[in-house]
Amino acid sequence: MTGGDIELRADDDQVLSAGESMALIERQTEEAQRRLGFNPALILGLWGAAYLFGFGAIFLTYPTAVPLRLPGAVAAVITGVLFPAATVISIVTGVRSGRGLRGPSRAAGAMYGWSWTLGFCALAAVNIGVTRLGLPDDAVTLLWSGSSLLLVGVLYLASGALFQDRFQHGLGVWMLLSGACSVFAGVPGNFAVVALAGGGGLFLASGYFALRPACPPA
Amino acid sequence: MIHAQARLRVTVALSALPTEDQITFPRLQQLLEMSAGNLSTHLRKLEDANYVQLTKTYQRRTPVTYVSLTRTGRRALEDYTAALRRLLTPRSDPGDQTDQTDQPGG
Repeated sequence: MTGGDIELRADDDQVLSAGESMALIERQTEEAQRRLGFNPALILGLWGAAYLFGFGAIFLTYPTAVPLRLPGAVAAVITGVLFPAATVISIVTGVRSGRGLRGPSRAAGAMYGWSWTLGFCALAAVNIGVTRLGLPDDAVTLLWSGSSLLLVGVLYLASGALFQDRFQHGLGVWMLLSGACSVFAGVPGNFAVVALAGGGGLFLASGYFALRPACPPA
Repeated sequence: MIHAQARLRVTVALSALPTEDQITFPRLQQLLEMSAGNLSTHLRKLEDANYVQLTKTYQRRTPVTYVSLTRTGRRALEDYTAALRRLLTPRSDPGDQTDQTDQPGG
C-alpha cells in the first residue's frame, strides 16, 4: 500500500512510468467525471434560449417602445417549438445521465429530477384552479410568469444544496429576484424581465458550466 | 495490481463514482472503450484483490452486473496516487527531464 506498489513489474498489460501513470490518472478522472457526471450546460442553454426568444417574442407582440411588432402567431410558433423541445430534451438528458448507475447519489439525482416534473404539475394545477375563479387577463399572465420563475429559483436553490454547488444556489437567488421583479414590472414588462433577466441568467449559467472544468472536488 | 495501464484506468474510472454508487458492466465498458472480454479479465483480477465488488442481479429478467470500487480499492488508488506524487515532486530541480525548447526572450 505504500511506495512498493509503484515498482514496475512485467504484467499482461502495459506498465507505465510514474509520470505516465500520474498523467493517466488525471486524464481518466477528468473523463470519467465528465461522462458520468451531469453537466447542466445543455439544459440551461436550451431553457435560456426558450426564455429569451419565447418570452421575448411574446413581449414583441405588444405595442411597446421597441419598433418591431411581431404577429401573435409568430410568437405562438416560437414558444410552441422552444418550450416543448426544451422540456423533452431536459427529461431525456436527465434520464440518460443516470443510465447504468445505481446507489445513493443516483437516487438523490432521480428524486431531484422528479421535483421539477411534480413541481410544475402542481404549479399548473394551482394556477389553473385560481384562474377559474375569474382573474383579469393581466393577473393571469403575471401569475404564470411569476410563479414559474419562483419555482425555477427554488429548485436551483435545492440543486445548489444537493450538489454542493454555490453557483447553482446563486442562480436560484437570481431567478427568485427575476420572478419577483417580473410581477412588479406589470404586463408586458414582465415578459421583458423574464426574457432578459431570466433567460439571460440561464444563458450565462450555461456558459459558465460549459467552460468550468468537469472535476468538482470529490 | 493497479500499475498495469488497463487496471489503473478501470480503478480510476470507478473512483469517479460517489462512494457506494455502482455502475453496470456495459456502461463501464462504454466509458472505458474496452472490449467485454478484456474488461471482464481485469475486473476478475481486481475482484480477486478485493479492489472491486461485482454484484450480479436481475432487471426485468435480464442479468445485470453492477461494478463498484471497494474501500480497499479506493484506499489503494489513493495510496498509489500519493506515492506517485511523492516520486514526482522532489525532482523538480536537477535531473528534471522537461524539455528546454521554451526560450523566454528568444
